[in-house]
Amino acid sequence: MPSIAVDAMGGDFAPEEVVKGVAQVSLRTDIQCTLVGNEQEIQAILDRVPYNPERIGVQHTTEFVTMAEDPKVGLRRKRRASVLVAARLVADGHADAVVTAGNTGAAVIACTQCFKAIQGVFKPALASVYPRQTEYPGQDQLALLLDVGATIRCDATELVQFAIMGSAYARHVSKVPNPRVALLNMGVEETRGGDILVEAYHRLKNCRGINFVGNIEGTDLAKGKADVIVCEGLLGNVALKILEGVAEVVVDLAGTARRESWRWKLGFFMLAGSIGRLRDLTDYAIYGGAPILGFEHVMIKSHGRSNARAVENAIKVAAKAVRDGVTQEIAAGIEQV
Amino acid sequence: MTFWQRLGRVSKTQSPIVFRWDLDKTYLQTDFDSLRGLVRVPFEKPQDKVAVPGVVPLIRGLRDAATEAGREVQIYFISASPAQLAKAIKQKLALDGIEYDGIVFKDQLGHLVRGHFRSLREHVGFKLTELLKSRRTVPAASREILFGDDWESDPIIYSLYADILAGRIDGEELGEVLRVIGVHPGLIAEAKELAAGAEHGDAVTRIYINLERRTPPTRFRSFGPRLVPTFNYLQTAVCLFADGYLALPAVAGVAESLIEDAGYTPSALVNSMADLVRRGHVPEAPSLAVRDFLTPRGLMPAERRRGLVAAVWHRVVRWVRQAGAPASPPIDAIDYHHLVTQWRALGGGR
Repeated sequence: MPSIAVDAMGGDFAPEEVVKGVAQVSLRTDIQCTLVGNEQEIQAILDRVPYNPERIGVQHTTEFVTMAEDPKVGLRRKRRASVLVAARLVADGHADAVVTAGNTGAAVIACTQCFKAIQGVFKPALASVYPRQTEYPGQDQLALLLDVGATIRCDATELVQFAIMGSAYARHVSKVPNPRVALLNMGVEETRGGDILVEAYHRLKNCRGINFVGNIEGTDLAKGKADVIVCEGLLGNVALKILEGVAEVVVDLAGTARRESWRWKLGFFMLAGSIGRLRDLTDYAIYGGAPILGFEHVMIKSHGRSNARAVENAIKVAAKAVRDGVTQEIAAGIEQV
Repeated sequence: MTFWQRLGRVSKTQSPIVFRWDLDKTYLQTDFDSLRGLVRVPFEKPQDKVAVPGVVPLIRGLRDAATEAGREVQIYFISASPAQLAKAIKQKLALDGIEYDGIVFKDQLGHLVRGHFRSLREHVGFKLTELLKSRRTVPAASREILFGDDWESDPIIYSLYADILAGRIDGEELGEVLRVIGVHPGLIAEAKELAAGAEHGDAVTRIYINLERRTPPTRFRSFGPRLVPTFNYLQTAVCLFADGYLALPAVAGVAESLIEDAGYTPSALVNSMADLVRRGHVPEAPSLAVRDFLTPRGLMPAERRRGLVAAVWHRVVRWVRQAGAPASPPIDAIDYHHLVTQWRALGGGR
């Protein structure tokens, strides 16, 4: 059974929500977790909730990188930072994967410092899942977007590698047998987007094992036209934040409307089911987190505002990725290319 | 108090020792949380009854350790199950090879006949009076260790019993607390009379509560440091070893039983023991002794290898943390009125 190292000090609501999430995992699954963080704080939280001590280990450290801290400086100064200790546990074979809701930059650097890159992978990719329209019954409600921030600019080879990594991850974790891969671009034509995107387009088109469906525009991101969307980090990060922002505004507007007048209140009441579904769909707690791909080990980065449920789901995602041998499949895919 | 001081204390006091065990959910894995289980219990054969993992080697180990130390030892069981189940339960104990000195069941039929319907579900009065009656039969200087679970009111019953023996609760207060709980007036009068006749002394050294329902440990804080909530019998065994009541081979026996009978892994056992240390019920030294004993036997995984400097530093940090850890506070008088209200509001063990 997989063993997951969990950064107890990472995230806006850490350690409280992270520890509660691990406590829930200990009661509902057979996953072994090692909480990395301040032992006393962790135990004080555990004492207040039901948990199974047999499935929870604690690795003590008092240092951690805050959400606002410069990750490079933070990790240079804090050699026993919780995310780094968690990654080392995995690198030394004491755990199989890491889950963190902490500083994204620190998570990526911790991977770079502690994990070996998969042979042939030039740059790691930070993936994220986001809700999208489904086109057929049973289709996964979430699509995978990568890279969303591990890189700034990428060349064509790196984009092809992202496609291979994302495809392998989607095949196992999202249970899409033959994931459709698309390039995020400013137009659907193969000649759009400049030399790098054009080259990436042609290489992906001829890449065996990749179900490449061409370019997609920003407007199609949420329409379910592809299961894996590949782009460079800067673009991916902006796209993801726009999606999150729009979803928050819609839910917020619905709430405001409810307070405005009795007619709107009535309308809100009638639409409550749909709004609830929208909220569920955009609730990052449901999907838990997304992986940092390209290393020999799995690290799942969950949302900074993760609550206990999000942490629980992130741990389950990490365990699934380990069980299904996602990194091994990525390595095989990269080797073929 | 350090581990070595504890050992010293125990070795000096060779007073007789009494271990009192609740049956359901403490010794036996009785399923009365489902209607199906409830219906099945009366028809279960002795061989169908299942002991809680680790409890059998633990009880045997406690008797052996006391006998080896030349100490008089007595083991009692107390159960709120009806006397009609006595035969099957006694046969089960015989099958497990458990020797005991007394066992008490509740006269549920009698309550039914007398129309004491509330007494059918209320066990505090029954258990407390039975404990006090039994106390009269053991040597006056006997020390006691009590074992219960988080399903009903064992923490309250055992704490009341311990404080009555220690003279921390008078008859008036006892009567008031039992009235709040809803004990039958006849049993309240009996309990007060028995309490008045009890010889005073801090006889109960520990109360172990098996967290079968995974009740959060913090809910037991108001019961004081005498009560130790444990998630499995390895945790209980390690505590008993630290207090000098159990030998290391017996702790290993409990660990073996958990692995063989309940599918525990060596890392699950390490995690359990670390949890106990973090919760402050056991100092680091005895837990290290347990680990050193269990690791070569394959019952716990080997510690992570550290470099020499890291290993020395780790030991120093542990030593400093242990030295700085506050000693167990003395047992203060428990505010039972507050505690009973709080406990009931949380739905008993939940």
